[in-house]
Amino acid sequence: MAETRPGQPVRLLWPLLALPGMVWMALLFVMPLYVVLAIVFGGIDPVFRSPLPAWLPWEWDFTQFNFVLSRILGEGGYFGPAMLRTAVYVVVASSACVLIAYPVAYYTARYAGRYKGLLLTLLIAPFWISYMMRMLAWVNLLQDDGLVNQALSIGGLFPGDIDWLNGRASTVVLGLVYGYVPYMILPLFAGLDRIPAATLEAARDLGASRLEAFRRVTLPLSRPAIVAGVLLTSLPMLGDYFTNDLLSGSPGTSTAGNLINNSVTTPGQTGQAGAFVLLVLLVALAPMLLYVRTTRDSSGVQS
Amino acid sequence: MPPRANRRAPMWTRRQLLARAALAGVAVPVLGATGCSTRTPAGSGSGTTQLTIASPDNPVTWPITDDNQPIEDGLAPERNTTLRLYNYADYLAPAVIKAFEEKYDVDVSVSTFNNADEALAKVRSGAVPFDAYFPSYDQIGKLVSAGLIQPLNHNYIPHITDAWPVFTDPWYDGEWRYTVPYAIYTTGIGWRADLVDVDLEAYDNPYDVFWDTKYAGDLAVIDDFHTAMGMALLRNGITDLNTADADQLEVVRTDLLDLTEQTKPKVTITMYNDLPGGQYGLTQMWSGDAVNAQYYLGGGAQKEDLRFWFPDSGKGMVDNDLMVILSTAKSPVLAHHFLDFILEAKNSIANFAWTGYQPPQRSIDPERLVSQGYVPPNLRAAVVREEYFGSGYRLLELPPEVDAAWHQIWQEFKAGG
Repeated sequence: MAETRPGQPVRLLWPLLALPGMVWMALLFVMPLYVVLAIVFGGIDPVFRSPLPAWLPWEWDFTQFNFVLSRILGEGGYFGPAMLRTAVYVVVASSACVLIAYPVAYYTARYAGRYKGLLLTLLIAPFWISYMMRMLAWVNLLQDDGLVNQALSIGGLFPGDIDWLNGRASTVVLGLVYGYVPYMILPLFAGLDRIPAATLEAARDLGASRLEAFRRVTLPLSRPAIVAGVLLTSLPMLGDYFTNDLLSGSPGTSTAGNLINNSVTTPGQTGQAGAFVLLVLLVALAPMLLYVRTTRDSSGVQS
Repeated sequence: MPPRANRRAPMWTRRQLLARAALAGVAVPVLGATGCSTRTPAGSGSGTTQLTIASPDNPVTWPITDDNQPIEDGLAPERNTTLRLYNYADYLAPAVIKAFEEKYDVDVSVSTFNNADEALAKVRSGAVPFDAYFPSYDQIGKLVSAGLIQPLNHNYIPHITDAWPVFTDPWYDGEWRYTVPYAIYTTGIGWRADLVDVDLEAYDNPYDVFWDTKYAGDLAVIDDFHTAMGMALLRNGITDLNTADADQLEVVRTDLLDLTEQTKPKVTITMYNDLPGGQYGLTQMWSGDAVNAQYYLGGGAQKEDLRFWFPDSGKGMVDNDLMVILSTAKSPVLAHHFLDFILEAKNSIANFAWTGYQPPQRSIDPERLVSQGYVPPNLRAAVVREEYFGSGYRLLELPPEVDAAWHQIWQEFKAGG
């Protein structure tokens, strides 16, 4: 720690090392965010209907933000259903990711033995293929005469004529789960792998059953990893629009990401896209704070 | 280079200003002739500016301003360069591009866009210096008045004579000062006879088919606000496809929301790939996509299974796309040669044979496209006839406030209710 070796150089060293990160944050997070604010609270070019940012906060005009907000929450708000859909898709898909990823990560961390490295490599393998390619592969599998329907029909025994790609919520959720599950497995593995075997042995020695040891030791200790995994998967899901575009393409499954994508490319609606971005950011902030709290608590437990 | 640099010097400052202003999002006067677009709060944009709207009833010859002159005669095409094109995907035959590359010993790169709105925003940002761009005439007013495209030097484009004569003085660009024609197309209905059973005669109005719950989850409409909403207008017998009438737009709105509820259509522009691929059986479709679909057949589909409908009377959506040269073009001379190359009959027809989109070529006899094998007999209705341009309905540029009203309905439709 710095206090053990007091002196000028050290006092300057850490801020200096933090500087690149701070500059990075300022340039690539704070400034763009301010641009978004300026566009949301700015005006619209009367001919091109492109955004006219208002750089000075006292010139801000809340018309566009209120427009979006009133159409989410207000009477007959047509953005409301899409926002609700987003929440449902993300909660269902993230939960499914936890349910699928936890056993996998648990097994890899605890029972894989010398195959741990190999298994981990295989789990990371999907990262090597672009997300878009993996989704396009699903389009082929799921189309009317695709492999999935062929498999379901078991050689013509059953109809196997499910229109998977025609605006089904289940297909979109499937796509999200498939696409993001690796992002859940990795933090879970890292978290579970770090739990000292001694704590579990202690629990068993003190008379806890396997199940109880899991419930009272492993699960609480892996909570930060679960929260991290849920954040890593659900935050990108909140803004995901291409999974939806590729696997559904129907307005019936539009989510917040689609709303943003549609309005950002529409003249006169860029500010509205910014408003959606701000709202998603606000919603995402809550779990972020939860994460910060969880990790702080857990570091207290472990030390 | 030297003469070009010299010629372009005076307008560079304005270009730079426009480009920078667009990047920074600062308001600049875009309409030198009609006024200035000054900062206005959201939603109260009308009144301060006017956008000249060309239509068949109101032909427009755009002015050529001092700071945006055509290139001079007799310049050699740029060498060792890359010609940058901005176009829809799969809308230009690779073999034709290759032939051009070989003829002029240059590289050609094609960037693609999904819809016209997205394309205009990017062109205006100037972020990528495209040389040639393929818009429809529904952007021409904005493109010209903001100085985004440059007037053409006709001496570089002798093959304009290969195109229908009407395009040397079209209503949207008198004296073809800024544009040459690219493809012509109608918008109709396409389906797979092996997947769905369609009898358009059975409906009061053929477009009713999209609201028929029999096809729920098995159909698509075109992901372009004007084209899809125009279809809803036609369904209601309204033929002014550029209407500003609030009641008529409300009818469209109701119809679109019903559409989501009743038949859950996909909203996309990849019909030429999805219909033959069996992703759905019935779709709103551009004629060129219908012809093109025969090259994308997969699985068990046969060419004979494809169907296309467009009214015999020609009373449907009829439009054409254009080729223009952007003001920011790095290789304007080469771009002129490219336009000429595409207009030349043999290249034009080779391009058609790959994209399925018919060019307005004098040497093409629409009556013979089927017998010559370019269009299968079952897609006969996808052939675009010259007389359609007299009888059809056009999707025109919309005044900004009307455009906003249309887009808001489209936004509500795409939000999925």
